[in-house]
Amino acid sequence: MAQHAAETDDELLMRLRSGDEEAFVALYRRRQGAIYRFAMHMSGSPAAAEDVTQDVFLVLMREECGYDPERGTLSGYLFGIARKLVLRGLERGRSDVALEPDNDESLPPELAVEDDPLVDLTRREGIEALRRAVQALPRRYREVVVLCDLEELDYADAALALGCPIGTVRSRLHRARALLLEKLSQERRPRPGMGALKPLRCVI
Amino acid sequence: MNCQELWTAMTDKADAECARHLEECPACAARMERQRLLIASLRTVAAEWRSMEAPARVEAALVAAYRAQGGVRAPARRQWWLPVLSWAAAAAAMFALGVFLVRDRQPRAESAPAHRTAPAGLEWASLDWSAGADAHGDATGYDNDFIPLPNAQRVGPDEEVNLVRVEVPPSALLALGFVERADRAGPVQADVMLGSDGLARAVRFVDE
Repeated sequence: MAQHAAETDDELLMRLRSGDEEAFVALYRRRQGAIYRFAMHMSGSPAAAEDVTQDVFLVLMREECGYDPERGTLSGYLFGIARKLVLRGLERGRSDVALEPDNDESLPPELAVEDDPLVDLTRREGIEALRRAVQALPRRYREVVVLCDLEELDYADAALALGCPIGTVRSRLHRARALLLEKLSQERRPRPGMGALKPLRCVI
Repeated sequence: MNCQELWTAMTDKADAECARHLEECPACAARMERQRLLIASLRTVAAEWRSMEAPARVEAALVAAYRAQGGVRAPARRQWWLPVLSWAAAAAAMFALGVFLVRDRQPRAESAPAHRTAPAGLEWASLDWSAGADAHGDATGYDNDFIPLPNAQRVGPDEEVNLVRVEVPPSALLALGFVERADRAGPVQADVMLGSDGLARAVRFVDE
């Protein structure tokens, strides 16, 4: 198995297509964790994440799986398949951990708050709060945060996985981060009157 | 560059103009710092989640599936039938489109001339089939040249039928079970008999 460590995903894919089981296992072990975590973040369900992971690699076994190396990396392609499977599962009524409606296009810019919630992020409870905030994001923002910030995909691969232009990935990521900061602020200070806070303005 | 332009064009790369604005704008600089801290915190969350993987049973099930199908067969060994399948699908689609186009028209004998303006490739005829059956047909209600299609309904004794002339590609002939005719080069002309419900009942080859 160690002989496959230096091989690229595409090389392993070629080998598995010629019937090399070791190449299949090596590719699976290399990519399954990220796919499983993505599905877990998106569905909130270990069972759903398990099903998605299995189905993604079943698709890869098919000769006509549709992967085109010229359009992007195998990693981006696999995330794209996983995303479609997750969305299909959500449409069928499986669990979705989003706590807010998925129509938050008018998200306000980052609020200026008096106590910085990020100070807490250096502590254990702060990390837990951040994890909750990620899972409470609307789907379109959660998926871009999971891909770019948690799984550290580059924008090109994230765009391939999400089926959108790179510019859309950037703008959604920017909004998602602003929304995360807002959620963290609200969680830290859940008192009434947040709406009275004014956006920080810059006069330059 | 103002604040709005900075955050609209915000990317991971900090070009000179962005950097200059951040130096001049304490609010944007603070906001940028908060974003950096947030990203670092997200990386911490990611590191904690990094050990999370699919259960071992998923790998076992996939390996079993891989073995069961004998790996992934090489493209060259499977591609020979792909063109046949594609042509068969295209022919079936053409046939279905033809049936769809004539389904609701059900022309009567006196209105037949109007249908002669149909698109090229479709030659219409309308007749009282029960009369034709009496004159030329057998006990099944079909003219001797017509071959009933599999799973198609029989033509009723008083049912009015329509004929439509089509070109049938070899792949469609194969799909319909006419293997010998499919061996000929090029498409074959045929009359398709449509019942009063617009569905095909029988076919007659006209190139003999």
